[in-house]
Amino acid sequence: MTAPTDRDLIQRAMRGGKDAFGELVLRHGTSVFNVCYRILNERGEAEDLAQETFLRAYDRLHTFDLEREFGPWVRRVAANLCFNFLESRKINVPFDAERDADPSQMPETQTEVRERSEQIRGALASLPPHYRLVIELRHYQELSYDEIAAELEIPLSDVKSNLFRARKLLAEKLHALD
Amino acid sequence: MPLTDHLTDAQLNEYLDNETVERALLEAHLSSCEECVGRLTALKMFFTEIESLPEVELTSPIVLHIPSASQLPRWLTLTATLQVAFALLTVILAAPFISSLVPAIETPSLTDVFLQLRSQWRIWLDILSTFRLPTLPQIPALEIPSLMVMLVLAVVSIVWLVGNGLLLRRQFK
Repeated sequence: MTAPTDRDLIQRAMRGGKDAFGELVLRHGTSVFNVCYRILNERGEAEDLAQETFLRAYDRLHTFDLEREFGPWVRRVAANLCFNFLESRKINVPFDAERDADPSQMPETQTEVRERSEQIRGALASLPPHYRLVIELRHYQELSYDEIAAELEIPLSDVKSNLFRARKLLAEKLHALD
Repeated sequence: MPLTDHLTDAQLNEYLDNETVERALLEAHLSSCEECVGRLTALKMFFTEIESLPEVELTSPIVLHIPSASQLPRWLTLTATLQVAFALLTVILAAPFISSLVPAIETPSLTDVFLQLRSQWRIWLDILSTFRLPTLPQIPALEIPSLMVMLVLAVVSIVWLVGNGLLLRRQFK
């Protein structure tokens, strides 16, 4: 027996099937969590916002267009939610590699790749929220400029300039760490 | 005509994003400019580096506590309550008109209790039928035939039921 598609699960969830929605959460939980983690750079908050994302998605499920993919949609919901969360808080969480490191997964000698990943996460977390959001939507969710403009309801020119400045700032921060 | 000046950072960004409208022009310049090719390569490496960020596993699966369908939103509860209040008010206001039809109905007098109840009911309707608001006597609508009132009541009831059905449909799916 083949596993039900996301579409099947959404249709069942729309009819009130909580188990079907639970299956969607299992399938997309990690990717949604990673969206939140990239933007927030704090595991606890990322998990809370990932949970909140799915609750929002469940509430708005009746507005979901079945012709679209569920994964990209719910990840965009997550990105917007994290952005709003940062905007409401209006403080940037300083990067703390020790705090975010998971001791159970940390070998005694960290690999260079892992160190670099932490540096990128730290540099991303130090960007202003609206810069983090465009980096997330462009580089990790692979949205086009037009799609980002539509998603954020901002002019195309703002998308270009925000993305350009965000990358420049991110590159400067990473170079400073080299 | 190929570009003679070096490409701007913005042009390189748009080129790598596949969002430029002058792709052929930029490629013509890149084919003959090592400096711009070097900058493009560095930018591409930067893109690759940030996109190579590994996914992190959840320490524990996400557990949702989805509210039960019986827990209606506050606005819906309020709307339903208002509808009920409106319907009750309509029935009370229409009761005097209905009373004119009640005597025509043969009430089976099965027990004294029922007779007593009927008697009390008529007394209450008589009181209601004589009740007048200060401005009501001047309203011509009071002279509307009973049949018309019954029709209006029926329509109001149907609208109320359909309205409730539409409001609650999603909750009971």
